[in-house]
Amino acid sequence: MTALAPIRLSSRLRANQGVLVVAALLVILLIFGAFISDRFRTTSNILNIFEQSTGLALVSLGQTLAILTGGIDLSVGSMISLLSTLTSGLIAGKVSMVLPVAIGILLLGLLIGICNGLLIIWLRVHPLIVTLGMSAVLQGIVLLYSLGPAGSVPPSFNFLAYGKVLGLPIGAVFILVLFLLVALFLRYARLGRYIYAVGDDEVGARLMGLPRARVMLTVYGFSGFCCGLAAIYLTSRFSVGQPYTGLNYTLASITPVVVGGTLLSGGKGGVFGTLLGVYLISLLNNVLNFMDVSTHYQLIAQGLIVIAAVSIYVEKKKRV
Amino acid sequence: MLNLSGISKSFIGVQALSGINLDVRAGEIHALVGENGAGKSTTIKIVAGVYKPDAGQMEFEGKPVQWARPADAKNAGIHVIYQEFVLFPHLTVAENIYLGHERRNRFGFVDHARTRQDASDLLRKLGVDIDPQILVSELTVADQQMVEISKALVHKVKLLILDEPTAVISGREADLLFARLAALKAEGVAILYVSHRLEEIFQIADRVTVFKDGAHVATKDIGDVTRDRLISMMVGRDLKDIFPPKKPKGEPGKVVLKAENVSVEGRVRNAGIEVRAGEITALAGLVGAGRTELAMGIFGGLPMSSGSVWIDGEKVDAITPATAISKGVGFVTEDRKGQGLAMFLDVAANISAANLSAVTRNGLIDRRLENEIARKEIDNYRVVCRGPATSVATMSGGNQQKVIVARWARTSRKVLILDEPTRGVDVGAKTEIYRIMRGLAGEGIAILMISSELPEVVGMSDRVVVMREGAISGELTGANISEEAIMSLATQHPTGKVPTAEVLAQ
Repeated sequence: MTALAPIRLSSRLRANQGVLVVAALLVILLIFGAFISDRFRTTSNILNIFEQSTGLALVSLGQTLAILTGGIDLSVGSMISLLSTLTSGLIAGKVSMVLPVAIGILLLGLLIGICNGLLIIWLRVHPLIVTLGMSAVLQGIVLLYSLGPAGSVPPSFNFLAYGKVLGLPIGAVFILVLFLLVALFLRYARLGRYIYAVGDDEVGARLMGLPRARVMLTVYGFSGFCCGLAAIYLTSRFSVGQPYTGLNYTLASITPVVVGGTLLSGGKGGVFGTLLGVYLISLLNNVLNFMDVSTHYQLIAQGLIVIAAVSIYVEKKKRV
Repeated sequence: MLNLSGISKSFIGVQALSGINLDVRAGEIHALVGENGAGKSTTIKIVAGVYKPDAGQMEFEGKPVQWARPADAKNAGIHVIYQEFVLFPHLTVAENIYLGHERRNRFGFVDHARTRQDASDLLRKLGVDIDPQILVSELTVADQQMVEISKALVHKVKLLILDEPTAVISGREADLLFARLAALKAEGVAILYVSHRLEEIFQIADRVTVFKDGAHVATKDIGDVTRDRLISMMVGRDLKDIFPPKKPKGEPGKVVLKAENVSVEGRVRNAGIEVRAGEITALAGLVGAGRTELAMGIFGGLPMSSGSVWIDGEKVDAITPATAISKGVGFVTEDRKGQGLAMFLDVAANISAANLSAVTRNGLIDRRLENEIARKEIDNYRVVCRGPATSVATMSGGNQQKVIVARWARTSRKVLILDEPTRGVDVGAKTEIYRIMRGLAGEGIAILMISSELPEVVGMSDRVVVMREGAISGELTGANISEEAIMSLATQHPTGKVPTAEVLAQ
């Protein structure tokens, strides 16, 4: 009807121009890093960045889906602390316990996530409040269980964090496969479509009879499951879990999501943007390391990035 | 097909429906008419399973039914096209059309190519040229409506409900809709059609039901009623008793608010307007024509990409709402609850909200003075409430509206802009608001009223400026103001009449 012809094909791409900005920033940081340090350019450092980003990538993946529905999962930090402490605490150095505990931890993560989802559906309380409350509950539980590092894992357990397949870090490969699967799910499964619809217009989704409850259980359950994966990975990386392992992950998991162009109000975005966001932040931290900047500044940088990213992507609403 | 008897529904103390009856037969187009607040939308939402009735019986296909959720009604074969669209702006046209009915390949995955192809075929069948691949947020409002209509054609429906489908479309698109409705009717679909446009009801409907104030007034064959009879049944009184007399002919008032060449990104193109002292000027046009955006731009609430504004002959650069208010301009927004009233404060606080300095003594708010002013205005505007300390949240829409008008009338002694001043207000309160508006004009205030209700525009305005697709399409004064003339300017149909479906089917 109207003169929309010239922009037809690229409609969705144009809407996600921000992702291109993130990709460009990645390149700029890479070039910058290469200038400031010779060691930065080494293959082992680049692989190191991939390795370091695995935990963040896992949590952010679950967070992306929660935010796509217009919600948020603020319980991820405490959940990782709890699950990670339980991992080393229950394995307690025994090789025979590794597999059963790992499976149990993943199921427990899923279960806690589903609890979040059920509470959101039943109580009709905003996910922000439900998961914030859940976060406090979980933190309390883990401190009841242990006030410090708990148990231990067999030395071979660290292959998850430091092992390689075909010369690539296991975690990094796993991440790429998992992100790809979730991207395919979002694009090709009906439930994937409904995640976007619920986030776009929750009332509208109800009027159309879309299964909101199923959507909520899926995204929060999946977020819990991702926390389980992250907890196992981090326990492997640090060789032990302790009650504050996940402390910074709540804010950290939101940063890549919003940097990657997913709207906080939901309905728009995707997991590839998040992955780019994860790499951008890991790269930034790596570069700051090479510049000998204190890790405290990394936290400050991260906070500023979230605010800047949201202000760039926010849909310019009519302001009166 | 559908039979409602004795359905009642109330919302926190407000009786929205009291024992209404309605039956819609297979293969008929049944029009439902009534003023705002008559209970049409509530009825639709009960049939659609959004609300549960407090009392009464609903039968669908001869069997008593109770919907627990909208999905139940949908699965039974009821499709509703709501006035406020159910479209997902970040999904494409094709994805929206098949939402809930995804095209899937044999592995159960969403088949994007087929979704696109089917959507494209469906839109072509409907007769519109919309690219199924673009995001819905990029469509014009009229095209969005066509997408909304095409959703009804995806699967077999038994009862199709349309709530004001032509509020945003007209001319060619409306005819495409009517042609499609005629085809569905021939297939035996029952159609419940809610509209304000009486012309089209006489054109397409078989029977008509009138609601007033939540009650059933009458159901008639369309051949048995006249237009005037319908209106008086809807309103419950004669038209001349509703609108106060207009400004007597004579010298036009002095131009108090003038804007030239105003553009607002994507919504308004090079529009100019003059509003005169002592007159009521209406800004008319279809929903989405850019009326609110033009007024908001002039008021400084939306950024203008070009344009100049004069208040009382003085050019105002870089206008903001604060400067506009300080120069005596007020804006009563359409959305009372969101942008107008502080719902948790009382009447007195709401009345003084726009000009707190008038009730401030020594840096503190003087509650006694504030209450005194409130009491005076409550009297003046006949606001029905217990007193200045009444919380506005407990008051009816009409009385809330009077409170806002009272607030602005105290500070805005030059220009008062009112956006849909009688939306969601019952007839009695409407009449009062009209009287207040005319009274303020009589005091020399220039009034700019944005309204989608043609009878209101015709009944109230001394001057009508009509917009179409973001631009001014014409101005009418005095005896030239008629519904037909306004619609013709709003849609650019030279005759103002809608061509018949047959003409279009060719």
